[in-house]
Amino acid sequence: MARHTVCRLKDLPVGKIVPANAGRARIVLSRTETGEVKAFAGRCPHQGAHLEFGCISDLTQAERPNEVSVDKSCSVLRCPWHGFEFSLATGQAVVADDRGHFLKLRRYNVEIDGDDVVVVT
Amino acid sequence: MPIIDTDVHESFSSLQDLVPYLPDPYKGWIAQGAWRGIPQPFCYTSPGNGNRADVVTEDGAPVASDYDLMRRQVLDEYDLTYAVLTGYFYPTMLKLQYGLGTALAAAYNDYCAEHWLAKDERFIGSIQIFARDPQAAAREIDRMSDHPQMRQVMLPVVDDIAYGDPAYRPIFEAADRNEIMISFHHTTHAQGPYGMGLHYMERRALLPISLMPQVISLIVNGVFDNFPNLRFMVLEGGFSWLPHVMWRLDRDYRMGRVEVPWIKKLPSTHCRERLKLSTQPTEDISAENWIKLIELMGTDEILVFSTDYPHFDFDSPNAAIPRGLPDDLREKIFWKNAAAFYDIDVPLAAASIAAE
Ligand code: FES
Repeated sequence: MARHTVCRLKDLPVGKIVPANAGRARIVLSRTETGEVKAFAGRCPHQGAHLEFGCISDLTQAERPNEVSVDKSCSVLRCPWHGFEFSLATGQAVVADDRGHFLKLRRYNVEIDGDDVVVVT
Repeated sequence: MPIIDTDVHESFSSLQDLVPYLPDPYKGWIAQGAWRGIPQPFCYTSPGNGNRADVVTEDGAPVASDYDLMRRQVLDEYDLTYAVLTGYFYPTMLKLQYGLGTALAAAYNDYCAEHWLAKDERFIGSIQIFARDPQAAAREIDRMSDHPQMRQVMLPVVDDIAYGDPAYRPIFEAADRNEIMISFHHTTHAQGPYGMGLHYMERRALLPISLMPQVISLIVNGVFDNFPNLRFMVLEGGFSWLPHVMWRLDRDYRMGRVEVPWIKKLPSTHCRERLKLSTQPTEDISAENWIKLIELMGTDEILVFSTDYPHFDFDSPNAAIPRGLPDDLREKIFWKNAAAFYDIDVPLAAASIAAE
């Protein structure tokens, strides 16, 4: 297990994706509304897009057609290529494939040490 | 084996047959020949001009307007357990005069009940509507749904309506509250994305492309999700395209759920659970390819048999479904899947013969 100081907390604006290097691994970081910092492997498990070019958005929801709202308590990371949505909380894709399998971003543990963001790989 | 033929076209002999069922002022208009019906925008080139050439009445009346002939040629000839009447006159093709369109649909339903459904208990009826006025269509569905033989609403596929559009929601609400199902059938106005093509052969090859968008429209616009008790049948639109549409929609949903979060299931799951496709016109593929296609669909409960009597591309119950398919699959195609769709009992005698 290796611990990497990848950036400063102040470098992580809420709702943005920030790329970093954790040793030889390219990763993406994002800070949630609640202040938690999430770290995932930098490539999409679907076809390998660089997730640093993706975006963070609130999960859309609707019970009726054309009445879309957003769930502020649930953010998703959207891949820059095909737009698949991954839960920022768990890294799991919002939609399963037709075999019931959910893609999952590889997640890393994050520790905050003072102002340092430390990622454990 | 029982047979449920899900697509049999009945017709009046002329628009005048509707006159007794029309209210004023439309009764007078039609009686005096003020409208000549919906023009057919192409020429058929088959020996029977679009129909089986052996479907000829003694008095030269239009084909499929004669119950006795239909009974002889299809109901008795193939010992059909049920035949679903799907009509040939679709007032929705009329693009103006909504009051007339609605009155024609109602008149046709009354005509059909009296001149067809009453004559044979093997008939299952389709409620014809004028879909361009969805509220009026809903009232017609409410009016006709009490008829014990009416088991579905017929949604004609024309060149300017995708039924998932929220404007048509009253039609599905009415079907839902009356617990009857939905079927789609193309019309002579259905077309592909660049029109009808330049030849009848081209136009016919394009027909599946007029029906695929209806499935896409219904699912993407939330009709499957909003009406979990409704089932949908696509008639005469081919079936080998379904795996493609399922895969495509699943992928598109993974990419675009953000825009349509009212969809709660993978589109392919919706298709597998709630969609039926009729087999006619079959495409002369091998039994092995039938099985491959059904495997790709992921269920053997989608396909339902139809003849399309009296049309020239009729599928014979004796020949269209390869005998090389497993017996239990043939049973599903010939009757079990349709019986589940319409929620009908297959007479015990027929079913027990099948079990032997
Ligand atoms: S590569 Fe990320 S969704 Fe396809």
